[in-house]
Amino acid sequence: MKTRFHTVQDLASVLESENLPLGGYLVAREAFIQGKTADEVNAELDRRIQITRAALDRGLSAPQLSFSGLTRGNAVRLAAPEKAIVTDPFYTRAIAYALAVAEVNACGGRVISFPTAGSCGIVPGTLWAFRDTRPSGEEIDDARFREAFLVASCVGILIAERATLAGAEGGCQAECGAAGAMAAAGLASLCGCAFGAIFDAAALSLKNSLGLACDPVAGLVEVPCVKRNAFLAANALTAVSLELAGVTSVIPFDEVVTALKAIGDSLPANLRENAQGGLAVTPTGLSYREKIRDPRPEAPAGV
Amino acid sequence: MAEKNVSIFDIFGPIMIGPSSSHTAGIARIAYLARKIFPYPVDRARVSFYGSLAWTYRGHGSDKAAVAGLLGIMPEDERLNHSFEIAAESGFTYEIVPVYELPERYHVNTVIIELENAERRIVLRGASIGGGSILIQEINGFEVDLSGELSALLVSHHDEVGVIAIVSHILAANRINIAGTSSHRKEKGDEALLVVEVDSPVGKSIVQQIESLPPIYSVVYIPGLSN
Repeated sequence: MKTRFHTVQDLASVLESENLPLGGYLVAREAFIQGKTADEVNAELDRRIQITRAALDRGLSAPQLSFSGLTRGNAVRLAAPEKAIVTDPFYTRAIAYALAVAEVNACGGRVISFPTAGSCGIVPGTLWAFRDTRPSGEEIDDARFREAFLVASCVGILIAERATLAGAEGGCQAECGAAGAMAAAGLASLCGCAFGAIFDAAALSLKNSLGLACDPVAGLVEVPCVKRNAFLAANALTAVSLELAGVTSVIPFDEVVTALKAIGDSLPANLRENAQGGLAVTPTGLSYREKIRDPRPEAPAGV
Repeated sequence: MAEKNVSIFDIFGPIMIGPSSSHTAGIARIAYLARKIFPYPVDRARVSFYGSLAWTYRGHGSDKAAVAGLLGIMPEDERLNHSFEIAAESGFTYEIVPVYELPERYHVNTVIIELENAERRIVLRGASIGGGSILIQEINGFEVDLSGELSALLVSHHDEVGVIAIVSHILAANRINIAGTSSHRKEKGDEALLVVEVDSPVGKSIVQQIESLPPIYSVVYIPGLSN
């Protein structure tokens, strides 16, 4: 079985030669690589999907407070706001869910890196919000939901193969930016988009994240990472809205990935996760770094 | 390292305890592997955090992650958050040391783990290279390159002709495919370390068979971590 693909074009020709639809191919490929059955692969996917659900429920049920004080239970606030400007339940849940998962991660909870820990709320947040807000008669079953996670992961594979998913290498465009593109593809799949439209939606979302710096305050996965999960969820929703309205990307997905790689390579080191630039060196950012600097005087030296 | 297809579960994974795949999950993995490589009682443990880790280990819970790994707790296990208490209950003692100077050849996220008892000691240098992926780069002065994804045999032997051939012959006879090998030595004719990554599990009897050969001092089998 052909297991390697580097571009959407590669992937299309592999699907043709294997004579499989996208979701079916991705499961068969995974089973082949891991030496497992398709049922085992699906069971593992379901197990992981449920872990994302547990994380988002945890983030919404109690305020998440981090060790540094930078994360302060905002998802709970966002899920039941006193005032709102966009009141559509899918939108409001997508941003609250994405934030909830990211806060659970920031506070040492159990999550799934997707594609990284700092960006782990974007795909589950958008996909679960969509599923939770379908009107009766349009429910999404487990198989279709699983396929959306597979399609999102496939976009991650394409970015990993030709660029990077590490903020330290490519900046935040490679983490939250990639997750936004993955979420757009997953949502497009849930909306019934065809193969081309799925990757076009990913291209639309990714284009709007190019150049994002990775400049975390005090080097922690909190500011701006946590709230950026909510923003990139909205980005993915916008990308799919454009796609469904027939507004397509001028630049194809594969070329956007090429651009992401080139931009990542030209980003200065201090905007690639070393906490020496951007927001990290603002007066407020620096004050947090001082506050949590290790080891603090009261730090115990082990037991 | 063996060339590997990117799996769906590399992207949608690993399952981990936050907040950082590199500073939490990766460190837990390195410590977990260290304990697999040193499967003996530990009287003294020291974890030294270099570079970025020295500055941010408490905020990332890298210290809890390291202790968890040394206790055999996997990166996805929520007990990771309580590793200090578990260590205290079981009498496991350790020392956490931040080292702010980063030697030039070290990766920016480096941890050095020292474990010892009355008879044995190991010094292991690991790098957390992103997304929870790790590399063990040094074991007792041998420069190695071990990802922990695949199962591996660490064969400590006297540096002489034919060791690699004998080991690969035994593995072939047991239908175990070798994904990659690397050989390391300090000086010619001295102690050498052979690292063999394999595609399928290696049973105890095969490990003993290899260990019984005259030029071989010891064999440690490390099951692969990929999940």
